Amino acid sequence: MSTAPPLPTLLVIPTGIGCAVGGYAGDALPAARLLAAASGCLITHPNVMNGAALYWSDSRIHYVEGSSLDRFAAGELLLQPVRQQRVGLLLDAGIEPELRHRHLQVADGCRATLGLDVGPVVITDRSLEVSLSLGASGVSWGQLGQLEALLRAGRELKAAGATAIAVVARFPDDPESEALAAYRQGSGVDALAGAEAVISHLLSRELGLPCAHAPALSPLPLDPDLDPRAAGEELGFTFLPCVLVGLSRAPDLVPAATRAAALGIDAVGAVIAPAGALGGAAVLACAERGIPVIAVENPCLLEVTAESLGLAVIPAASYSEAAGLVLALREGIAPAALRRPLPALQDQP
Amino acid sequence: MISGQLRPVLLQLERQSGSLRSQIEAAVAAHGAPLRWAITAVQQRADQPALLQIEAVVVSVGDRQQDEA
Repeated sequence: MSTAPPLPTLLVIPTGIGCAVGGYAGDALPAARLLAAASGCLITHPNVMNGAALYWSDSRIHYVEGSSLDRFAAGELLLQPVRQQRVGLLLDAGIEPELRHRHLQVADGCRATLGLDVGPVVITDRSLEVSLSLGASGVSWGQLGQLEALLRAGRELKAAGATAIAVVARFPDDPESEALAAYRQGSGVDALAGAEAVISHLLSRELGLPCAHAPALSPLPLDPDLDPRAAGEELGFTFLPCVLVGLSRAPDLVPAATRAAALGIDAVGAVIAPAGALGGAAVLACAERGIPVIAVENPCLLEVTAESLGLAVIPAASYSEAAGLVLALREGIAPAALRRPLPALQDQP
Repeated sequence: MISGQLRPVLLQLERQSGSLRSQIEAAVAAHGAPLRWAITAVQQRADQPALLQIEAVVVSVGDRQQDEA
């Protein structure tokens, strides 16, 4: 175990782009746990941590919704750790009564078995009308028909004392689709991810609270060829447990203008992202601040590389290697000294 | 306070010198309040700046379903 002070590190694995690691049901969690151990302080987002019925809680990991992570990286938000959040539950009116009961029972189970503070519960005043779509590059995006209904319910929860919000929207079932079959067998894009991100981004932006989303879906028939990376989503009736656990200790989002003594981007010592997905807001903001970017080989749909953007990065062949590089930075070891050949210094002309 | 409609936006943008993030945010903001964006492709061109493909979702009061610029 390192005795050096923690090196706050950002881990970004964009949602809905089919990453080999992190493109499924929280299957980047082992990498996140390793990076948390190496850095002593890891800031990451629900796509990395959410495994539906599976989750991991680690006081060294800060669970921050994607758009808040972008604003943190841009220096607009600070993160203030808390002992426990009061997680309000926002349910889409489009969820059928039986499925709604399943979600309420999951919330009760998390209260009774894990000691989480969940409630109150608000149901939207109309169905949210979520629809799914793919962008020009094939990445998952998605739409929400009733934006105002979502925000009204969120404001109601905040006024009732919720300090974080778990939102469950009814997503369209499409059990026969080729895209779903490919995803379950480990070769496709998570078609739900883009719409999920839009919903949590909207709420978090509007309310300034930690937010995360779980889709409500009918159970799928058994697939004997299920890829292990997608298995976390087939263990129960809902995707909600990981969201409640993640939010229960998510840091408060503090506007940087308040100058609170909280964790800010100035303290961050590294950002880790897939080598082909370096064109997101958080990574670019970090790169522009001179924060070392560790670009990990993690195949995905995109080829937005360091070379194509003209970014200087530290390459890593795997998340294991990235963890070693983070530990080197934490211990004050220059990563270049670990590679061979090691070019000799040259005089400046 | 957020209000309006969600709208997907697809942009092609010539890379300029200076902050790439600021350039993208300004281009996306011309279509509404940016909610989510990413560079999803980069086309290198001989003797010209790289062409960036940006996919975004904005909040807008407009009624068009898809912008292309």
